[in-house]
Amino acid sequence: MRSHRWLAASAAGVFALGIAACGSNDESPSGGTSSGSSSGSAKQGGTINGAGATFPAPIYTEWAARFKDQTGTTINYQAVGSGGGIAQFTAGTVDFGATDAPMKDEEEQAAQKKGAPVHVPTVLGAVTVSYNVSGIDKGLKLDGATIADIFLGKIKKWNDPAIAKVSGNTSLPDKDITVCHRSDESGTTKNFTEFLADYSPEWKSGPGVDKTVKWPTGTGAKGNDGVAGCVKQTDGAVGYVEQAYALQNNFTTAAVKNKEGQFVAPSLEATSAAGAAASPPADLRFSTINAPGAKAYPISAVTFLLVYQDMCKAGMNATQAKLVKSWLDYALGAGQEIAPQLQYAPLPDSVKTKAKAKVAGLQCNGAAVGSS
Amino acid sequence: MTTLPAVSGRRRVTDSGMRALMLVLTLIAIVPLVLILYYLIKEGIGAWSKDFFTTDPTGRFLGNPGGIKSAIWGTIEMVALASLIAIPIGIGVALYLVEYGKQGRFANVVRYFVDVMTGVPSVVFGLFVYIVLVVTKVGGTFAAWKGSVALALLMLPVVTRSAEVVLNLVPDSLREGALALGAPRWRVVFRVVLPSALPGLVTGSLLAVARAAGETAPLLFTAAFVFGTQFDLSQRMNSLPLQIFSDVGQAQDRLVQRAWGAALTLVLLVLILSLVARLAQRRSRLA
Amino acid sequence: MEAGSLTARGGRTLPERSPRARAIDPLLRWTLTGLAALILLLIGFFFIRLFIEAKPAFDKFGYVGFVFDNNWDVSREIFGAWPLVVGTLITSAIALILGVPVAIATAIYTTELSPRHLRQPLTIIVELLAAVPSVVYGLWGIIVLAPKLKGPEQWFSDTFSFLPLVGGPVSIPNCFVAGLIMAIMILPIVSAISREVMVTVPSENKEAALALGATRWEMIRIAVLPYSRSGISGAAMLGLGRAIGETIAVTIVIGNAPNVPDSIFSQGYTLAAVIANEFGEAASDPTHRAALIAAGLVLFVLTLLVNAIARHFVNRAQRGERTVPKGMAG
Repeated sequence: MRSHRWLAASAAGVFALGIAACGSNDESPSGGTSSGSSSGSAKQGGTINGAGATFPAPIYTEWAARFKDQTGTTINYQAVGSGGGIAQFTAGTVDFGATDAPMKDEEEQAAQKKGAPVHVPTVLGAVTVSYNVSGIDKGLKLDGATIADIFLGKIKKWNDPAIAKVSGNTSLPDKDITVCHRSDESGTTKNFTEFLADYSPEWKSGPGVDKTVKWPTGTGAKGNDGVAGCVKQTDGAVGYVEQAYALQNNFTTAAVKNKEGQFVAPSLEATSAAGAAASPPADLRFSTINAPGAKAYPISAVTFLLVYQDMCKAGMNATQAKLVKSWLDYALGAGQEIAPQLQYAPLPDSVKTKAKAKVAGLQCNGAAVGSS
Repeated sequence: MTTLPAVSGRRRVTDSGMRALMLVLTLIAIVPLVLILYYLIKEGIGAWSKDFFTTDPTGRFLGNPGGIKSAIWGTIEMVALASLIAIPIGIGVALYLVEYGKQGRFANVVRYFVDVMTGVPSVVFGLFVYIVLVVTKVGGTFAAWKGSVALALLMLPVVTRSAEVVLNLVPDSLREGALALGAPRWRVVFRVVLPSALPGLVTGSLLAVARAAGETAPLLFTAAFVFGTQFDLSQRMNSLPLQIFSDVGQAQDRLVQRAWGAALTLVLLVLILSLVARLAQRRSRLA
Repeated sequence: MEAGSLTARGGRTLPERSPRARAIDPLLRWTLTGLAALILLLIGFFFIRLFIEAKPAFDKFGYVGFVFDNNWDVSREIFGAWPLVVGTLITSAIALILGVPVAIATAIYTTELSPRHLRQPLTIIVELLAAVPSVVYGLWGIIVLAPKLKGPEQWFSDTFSFLPLVGGPVSIPNCFVAGLIMAIMILPIVSAISREVMVTVPSENKEAALALGATRWEMIRIAVLPYSRSGISGAAMLGLGRAIGETIAVTIVIGNAPNVPDSIFSQGYTLAAVIANEFGEAASDPTHRAALIAAGLVLFVLTLLVNAIARHFVNRAQRGERTVPKGMAG
């Protein structure tokens, strides 16, 4: 009987803890570290939930840490992939979404139930073709057609004549190529396949261009980090990962042939060059893949944050809307200065102006955000 | 008087050979466990530190990746809620089957369905809770209590089945004695049957709890994943299995090491629960 | 013993005989019956709800089409689950082929051959395998096991390439590793049930065999195994059911490629893994979501079938079908 009571008492204790916590409706996670969460009167505090692309996750999480220090607001960013970001944004389970692939028309239509989605471009990044082959140094020259053939499974070995021809490297090792690709819906995939489709009709009519395609060969992994892990694990592997992930893991990356015929290695300058010529339409749904310019890296991609034009009508309360807007202001303001530290290119001025105008035009129940 | 046939050489060889084979295969069965424990300890201990247990994962790419504090608390809280749901209901159903239903048609149907439930993959439970609770936005979208519901669905048949076995072991003479003395049925149940079966019930419940603590799939689309520690059951909550699953595919070595550390923590938690369950079983006067 | 509270000791602890106290009896009875009925309602609701949500996919692709079409193409919104079904079957088959013999051997060894004092420790060690969570198996599998196996797999693939489903390039995450991990995971349950069944073999059968001069192994072969056949089959089917539904460990080590695998050493995909991987993105796409739920339904039905068969076998064993071993009948 005694042990029975003790068991019941401890169970009740945990239950009581849970109920008490429920009642307090504690919104701000404790975060463990002591910095920043002391909500002085100047700090706005609060929590914002976001989900989406893994492509910009390195810079977003860096921004989130600094934003919290500055304003006390916690950004809970879940890197679940662009597809997951769009899905959660449409379902209303997050305050903002993030995607490297602008929403398709059908996706925008599905979101219309809550309101008009707004794409806010934030930074540009480079989709590197990273490989892990002992025997090949960095800077292997590749072009779109060859890369497409590798990912189609037509080129199976590193010393294939096609690779030797385009790269000019005659001492390639006799190793099997292991392809690493995404298993989840990814904006990075959409940008990468867009590039491939430009140079390979077989790719265009086959797997096609989308956030997820029917990969003819290779291993699927979740997120940019998963593909990076896949590449790192296998000798002979090749995969497409964002620049920050490649740098962090010391991957060797290919120099890819761009529109002007130049082989360009992914770098901050090359990414910025790709963005320089961008002239986005009014809804800011644009792509920088295969951008013109001799110095441009051809697989540079712009990434977006998604919010609703009228955030409150979509389900947010006014305070939350203010927090989200301040986060967007940060991204387009101080955040742009920090981006180069992680090799993300800030937006070209023309795009930045348009983006800022979009953010200024966001509304809460008909009035401008923050006016209440 | 017949003489027993002598054992031929061939038969003797077959006998020794097969016995050796059985031993070898048994040892082979043990090898994976040894290897897993070895790697868990080797890689996991390296991740353990005070910070590991007292800081949340930060999700930061550069800089401090943080520890697993939110995961540990999340697991504890969600599993506790799941147990609070599943254990009373499970024991209740078992009581029905043993005390009232016995071999009746309704009881047999219930038994059959409980058996069915044990075979359902955990991901399908998560799917079900997702459809019924998350999509329909009952009380918000992703929430820890919904994850607990999915876990409870998983635990229910396990608790019921083991409880039924244990309750059946309570000798009828005890029940009849109490009834003969004029005790009402409910008192017999609560004062005689349950206390006698208690250690066995504890064992079964703890094993179910251990199983729930290790489950990932039901939580993927119900409690979702979040970095910070918070005790609010109506919000998303982190948990050890989800944290491990999130870290496992990463390229960064220190994140993989965090996964090992979290895995060691989880396995220790499950092992301790299982051990306590077994100890309770030893103390049982019935088994 | 709690009987103390029920003996007559000065009247205070005598059970209540008043009608009021007994009124609680029906209350208890109906509460418990209600709980039991709740289970039935829950399962019914479960199945119906899953079916309703899955129906759009079945409507679009047909029941047969959904299961047997070999094309899981998310971007084109074509959902034929055959690659997933094949992946599930292949990995489960590997799990059974590798896991069941070892489990049976373990059961035989611990019940019949091992020294008495080792019986309990060995049993506990095998059961400890069940305590390791699925995600930890996945972690160990992809980081430790899969890379180490690549070499031997490549050798096997090259040497035995004439066999069906063998030959060609070997990838690190592949179907075989998934099957192997699942074999380890089903070991404890198959072993435990086999052990339970073998322990119930009447000792008369065993002693009779030994008395007639059988060696130890022959005794097992003649008296124990035939008697336990139903139970072992049931155990194997239960293991199969568990393997079919295994999600997390599989998705970590199988490579997640929705194609019918050319060889057991290439990547694959299973019904359970696809649900876990694609669910996050399917939330707002009705067709995709319906397809995933349909995959879950197929999975559910498969496990139902397998478990029903398992139960049939285990029940037969418990009723002691085989009392006279075939070899001794004549």
